[in-house]
Amino acid sequence: MTNARFQYRFSDLNLNITQIESFMGYKDGESHETVTELLSGILAEAEEICDIRAEYHIWPVASFNDSEKSLSLDHHTFNIGRIIYGQMKRSGSVALFLCTAGREIGSKSRKEMREGDLLKGYLYDVVGSEIVEAAADLMQESLEASVAGEKRRITNRYSPGYCGWDVAEQHKLFRLIPYNFCGIRLTPSALMDPVKSVSGFIGIGEKVKRLPYTCSLCDMKDCIYRRGRR
Amino acid sequence: MNELLEKLSRCVELGKTDLLSPYPPDMKGQDGADELAKKALEEGIRPDEILEKSLIPAMEIVGDKFSRKQIYVPQMLMAAKAMNSAMKHLKPYFQSGEAKRKGKFIIGTVAGDLHDIGKNLVSMMIEGGGWEVIDLGVDVGSDKFLRTIEENPGAVVGLSALLTTTMENMRTTVTAIRERYPDAKVLVGGAPVTMEYCNKIGADFYSPDPQGAVNYLKQLAT
Repeated sequence: MTNARFQYRFSDLNLNITQIESFMGYKDGESHETVTELLSGILAEAEEICDIRAEYHIWPVASFNDSEKSLSLDHHTFNIGRIIYGQMKRSGSVALFLCTAGREIGSKSRKEMREGDLLKGYLYDVVGSEIVEAAADLMQESLEASVAGEKRRITNRYSPGYCGWDVAEQHKLFRLIPYNFCGIRLTPSALMDPVKSVSGFIGIGEKVKRLPYTCSLCDMKDCIYRRGRR
Repeated sequence: MNELLEKLSRCVELGKTDLLSPYPPDMKGQDGADELAKKALEEGIRPDEILEKSLIPAMEIVGDKFSRKQIYVPQMLMAAKAMNSAMKHLKPYFQSGEAKRKGKFIIGTVAGDLHDIGKNLVSMMIEGGGWEVIDLGVDVGSDKFLRTIEENPGAVVGLSALLTTTMENMRTTVTAIRERYPDAKVLVGGAPVTMEYCNKIGADFYSPDPQGAVNYLKQLAT
């Protein structure tokens, strides 16, 4: 089993207002003055309030089950569904990853909403989501670089709750990772705490490949990510 | 339409909350929804006329633009904030019974789920549609929904969930409501929810966006 651990500064992520506005659906030139101004303040604050961390652990794949669209890692079977199975089935090993933007940005979002500033609360939430995705991108690039020397490649990253992988499988995933991994814990309903966290699998192997964004493969037609990246 | 009501409507649509709101730039320094609603009441316009002729049409435009992806969540939230600033002047009249709303709408995110952005958006749009909204918050169990229906007979109920795990708790809540209040109307929504799932669990209505819920309630009220 191989592990890697990362701590990022907000400036490492190279996030800008245009990217965040694009996530919310705004096309070039459509940005809204008030939104841009608020986002600028939140991004300036982000360096202070975020605790951005990521980790992965690599496990060899014990077996694949083609009829059940599942794979097993260390006696744990994951029913990853048709879409993800199709991408993962040639993997020799799997990186289990977790990544978080830390607790404070989510708390700020909730506080603003509780106090009635729903717009600011929403913007903190969106910035938190973008931070954790950008950090996961960096972690994924590091993983890709570390296996490239062995002539291996990686798949896209896939998370429980997306592309037909039941979010309840998050519990199995957390059984395979050390307690308090990245400081993230799981609630009984499979929500991560801090809320601005992501988890999942990245397949590794000589015959796998990373695809362009795979929204068209997914059944979740009203997913916020699909709307933003359309 | 009365010029004042027209202006108020425009302020709500564009998210011009009050005099101090800097947006939109061409309305800088002008009264916003807060001041205009107060002024309309002072001029003797009835609160239900303000609601029906100004606020509801403005929120309908906002909901429609959002459904057609002409505006996005931030602008919807700004419009809702402007509407709330107008509504605060009307609320005493609704509470005293001098003016009437279309009905009551109970909303909550189901047990185990802590997501509230979608629920809040639907709440605001429905309030903007002229309904009194009773927001039970997040992680709401069936018992709390049942108690609130008992306290508010005839209320329509909205259930929200963002996770496939917690979506199953919608079924539990819908079943509990159906057993005790078979005639209660139940709406469901949230990213993993579909019309097929809505039908499967015996809910009455599903919409992928807030305006769909507003339109459904509008039909119920007529």
